Amino acid sequence: MDARIKYSLLLVGIGIILAFLPFNATDSFLLKSDELLSKSESEENYLSVDQVARMMNKEDSTMLLIDLRDAVQFKECNIPGSLNIPFSDLLNPLWEGTFNQKEVKKIFYGNGDHSANYGWAIATGLGYKNNFVMKGGLNEWFKTVMLSQFKGEKITPLENALYETRFNARKAFTQVNSLPDSLKSRYFKAKDIKQLKLDGGCQ
Amino acid sequence: MYSRMNKNKYMNPYLAGVLLGLVLLAAMFLSGRGLGASGGIKDTVVAVVGAVDKQHAMNTPYYSKYYQNGEHPLRNWLTLEIFGMVLGGFISGALSHRLKFKIEKSPKITNRKRLLFAFLGGLFFVYGAQLARGCTSGAALSGMAVLSVAGFVTMAAIFGSAYLFAWFFRKLWI
Amino acid sequence: MGPISIISEFPEWLNLLIAFFIGIGFGFALEQAGFSSSRRLAGMFYGYDTTVLKVFFTAAIVALAGSQLLSFFGLLNLKLVFVNPYYVNSAILGGIIMGAGFIMGGYCPGTSISALSIGKIDAMIFLLGGMVGAFLFMETYPLIQTIAMENYKGNMRIDEWLGVSPGVFTLLLIIAAVVLFWIAELAEKKFSRPDITSDI
Repeated sequence: MDARIKYSLLLVGIGIILAFLPFNATDSFLLKSDELLSKSESEENYLSVDQVARMMNKEDSTMLLIDLRDAVQFKECNIPGSLNIPFSDLLNPLWEGTFNQKEVKKIFYGNGDHSANYGWAIATGLGYKNNFVMKGGLNEWFKTVMLSQFKGEKITPLENALYETRFNARKAFTQVNSLPDSLKSRYFKAKDIKQLKLDGGCQ
Repeated sequence: MYSRMNKNKYMNPYLAGVLLGLVLLAAMFLSGRGLGASGGIKDTVVAVVGAVDKQHAMNTPYYSKYYQNGEHPLRNWLTLEIFGMVLGGFISGALSHRLKFKIEKSPKITNRKRLLFAFLGGLFFVYGAQLARGCTSGAALSGMAVLSVAGFVTMAAIFGSAYLFAWFFRKLWI
Repeated sequence: MGPISIISEFPEWLNLLIAFFIGIGFGFALEQAGFSSSRRLAGMFYGYDTTVLKVFFTAAIVALAGSQLLSFFGLLNLKLVFVNPYYVNSAILGGIIMGAGFIMGGYCPGTSISALSIGKIDAMIFLLGGMVGAFLFMETYPLIQTIAMENYKGNMRIDEWLGVSPGVFTLLLIIAAVVLFWIAELAEKKFSRPDITSDI
């Protein structure tokens, strides 16, 4: 019995020590600055609006569009299926699960390129992988996808495919964004947390 | 007072617990995840289905996601861990002279009854493990070690319901 | 800095090799604890053998306290360690079904593998039933899909939920475990079945 009491006290003692340990709640930048610099210099982090449109039409389940604008702008209109993480909210631990999905391509966009680039840098710097920027942001999306027209009678198959992609994306964009607010929020909620196969665990 | 003689056959439970905890800690430190078992069983079944009826595997969304990008369902952390478990258990059994083919059961029931309930038990358990996304090793034990609510809830559900059902199945054991 | 294979970006083969060795340790520890015996495991629910509780909680505490300490010394980044996601309905329902399976079969998947490795035939049958159960689940998945996906709460951690620091929760868990250990030892004396304990 004596040994048991000793061990019980030892365990509780360890617990008390642990109870006083501060929990480091701050996210630490995992990448060294030169690594981040070389990563941001490469072109492979940029996706054109056409590439994004094509992935959208194929309903690519490994992609996740992240809209960095504020909630009001997001509600007015956005690319269907995107998740709204206002730029100021990026470091909210709530989004960790979203960023932590290795197989998911996280594509940041804002109105232009600014916030998307910063968002990309922060996500990559924190050590998350598979981050992209949609080059030109929503402005480019409008210009290219929504307003594009093809002139001339003969078009090459490549141009045809491009036009089709843009047309389909445009249709989806208009349809969803013209829904009344109540239905829109339900649509977004449904797309909100995608249950993708998580890495690890006894599934 | 019951005889403590046979306790020497097995390792002291607290010591064994420390050993198990260190293994779990090693998994967390080396691979960033906890232990698991039922997931490995699922992977094996997926691999078997894929080998026997590739078409069906490709057409059913549940199976096909394991074959995406040319991957194979057996080529993952859990499956290798399961193989290691077989070897580890064997080594332990060999060192402790416990290697023996036998059907372990209460002397009050027949072999057939034991095996029938073993089969049913396995069926229920792994089905439930798929639903709860983990078994006692993966969800409960590893979950508790990372402070996951799912881990605690699953563990409470498993043990709570086992105690509830214990009276009904008591003839199998005591 | 851990988790090493993630931060140092180990190649796949190395990660799989690590898994294999960890598995060896896992199977060894389980068998040494005596979990290769279904009657020992079942004893938890009838009082004559509380090894399950002792091993389980000790292991959880060791891993928990160990990881907290490693994190404090900057050796382990807990944010990169997998936290299983919480789906309320399926966690509870699945747990109930597992409890039934546990008391019927006398094993759980991990212990059945270590029992299989020393030749227990009932464990082999348990695993066979397990594979059928997994097959059944996958084939009938559309039926249970809604329940399985309902009520997703994300990777919820219990210290966040309770609003305490992880260290404080560890202390609470340690205290609870020590209390349970004492109760378990008393129960073993009260519900002892020397005929069974000498046999397993």
